[in-house]
Amino acid sequence: MKRIINLTVNGIEYEIAVPPHRTLLEILREDLNITGVKQGCGIGDCGACTVLMNGLPVFSCLVLAMEAAGSEIITIEGIADGLNLHPIQKAFVEQGAIQCGFCTPGMVLNAYALIKENPEPTEKEIRQAISGNLCRCTGYQKIVEAVQAAAEEMKLKDRRIEGYSL
Amino acid sequence: MSLPRFELFQPQTLEEACGLLARYPAGEAAILAGGTDLLVNIKRAIIPAHLPRCAGCGPQTGKPLMMVDKTPQCLIALSKIDDLKGIKEEDQGISIGSLTTITQICKSGLIRNKLTALAEGGDNLGSPLVRNRATIGGNICNARPAADMLIPTYALKGILELISPKGKRNIPVEDFITGPGKTIIYSNEILTKIHFPLPGRKSGSSAIKLANRKALEIALVNAAGVLTLDQENRIAQVRIALGAVAPRPIIANRAMEFLLGKEPRKEVFIQAGQIAAAECQPITDHRGSALYRIEMVKVLVKRTLMKTAERAEMEIQI
Repeated sequence: MKRIINLTVNGIEYEIAVPPHRTLLEILREDLNITGVKQGCGIGDCGACTVLMNGLPVFSCLVLAMEAAGSEIITIEGIADGLNLHPIQKAFVEQGAIQCGFCTPGMVLNAYALIKENPEPTEKEIRQAISGNLCRCTGYQKIVEAVQAAAEEMKLKDRRIEGYSL
Repeated sequence: MSLPRFELFQPQTLEEACGLLARYPAGEAAILAGGTDLLVNIKRAIIPAHLPRCAGCGPQTGKPLMMVDKTPQCLIALSKIDDLKGIKEEDQGISIGSLTTITQICKSGLIRNKLTALAEGGDNLGSPLVRNRATIGGNICNARPAADMLIPTYALKGILELISPKGKRNIPVEDFITGPGKTIIYSNEILTKIHFPLPGRKSGSSAIKLANRKALEIALVNAAGVLTLDQENRIAQVRIALGAVAPRPIIANRAMEFLLGKEPRKEVFIQAGQIAAAECQPITDHRGSALYRIEMVKVLVKRTLMKTAERAEMEIQI
C-alpha cells in the first residue's frame, strides 16, 4: 500500500506517495528526476548510488524509501553552490580524477562527508572512506590526490575567511 | 533491479512488532534491520547469475546455492523502535541494542576501550557505507560462520536477549547459532540487545580478519581473543573465537585450556595457534583452500593473542 512520506532533498522538502518495495534510489531518480545518483550493482557493492542521509553516506539502493522518511538527503546536485563547483568537484576535474564519471557522484559525496568530519584526512583515511566505492577507469590514485587537494584548498579557504573577519 | 512487491510495517514499539510477527506464518514475514543483507537476499532471487559475493553463492559458478523461491510477503522494520538502539553501561557490563549500527559501535569510546575486539570486528565489516546502515543484531541473526561482529561476540561471551509475546529469554551466543544461517530464534521472537560482561582488570581483547581484499569481503579466517592476566602476570582467563573455519563460529577450547596459567609469551602463543588449528574443520572455496585456512589459523591466533596480551599488560582496560 502506498504511503505519503516527507523527504528533504538538497534543502527542498518533498511530499511523495511511495509503495513499500521502492528504494530511496528509485524515488530519487524516477520520481524526483535527481539523476546524479546512479544505479550500479544494486546490491551494495559499488557505491555509485551513494547519498548522504542525515549526513552519513549510505547506499540508496539498499534503503527503502519509507525507511528514509523524514530524513535529510544530500545528493551530488546539492553539493555545488549554484553554478560554482564545490572545491571537491573542482579538484576532481583539475586532478584528472574523472574519466567516465559514473563513480564520481559517490566518490565526491564520500569525500564530502569525510572532510566535514576530518578536515585533514591522511591518505589512508581517504582510501578507507572511499573503500566502498568502485572506480573502473582512472584507478584510485587520482581520486585520492583530488580529495587531498580539495581538503587542502578548503582549509586555505577557511583561513582566508577567518582573515576577512579579523 | 527493482525489489519484488511486499508490504512494509514500521512498528513503533516492541509489542507491536511481536504482534505483527505473530500474524504471519513462519517465513512469510522478515525482520528488517539495516537491510544490507536482507534486501540483497531479496534482490538475489531475481538476479539470475549473482556475483560470487555472498556466503550463499556457489564457489565455482557464483550462482546462488539457495535459490529464494518465495520472497517474504511482508517486512517488519525495527527502525522506529528507539529502545533497540544505543550502547549502555550497566553494573555488570555493557549492553548494546540490536539496532545499533556498526558505525556507532566503532565510534564509541566505551566499546573501543572495554570491548576492543568488538570495535575491531566492526572496523573490518563491509565498507563505510555498509557500516552506516548495518546493525549488530542483523549481523548476529544472519548467523554467517564468518560474520565480523559474531566472532568478537563469541570471544567476549555475548548474551543475547530475545523477546516474544510469551516473554524474555537470555541465550549465550554459542547456544544461539546452530549452523550457517541457522539459529534457535523462533519466528515470533526479536533479538533486542546483546549483553557483554566486562573482562575485568588486566584484560585485553582484539579481533583480526584475513581476507583477499581490505573492504567488502568475507573473511578467509577471522579470529578474536580475550585475555586476562593475574597478579603474577600469568594467564588467568582466556577465550579464543574463530570464524570461517567451521559451519559456525567456534571456540578453541583446547588451545584455551593449554594457555591457562602460562606466561603470555610468543612461543606459548605459537603453540596455542597450533592447537587451535587442530580444532578447525575449514572447507575449500574460491576464497582459499582448507589447508591455507588451517595455516592462517595458526598465524591469526598467535597475532590476536599477542595483541590481547599487550593490551592486558598495558591495562588499557580498567
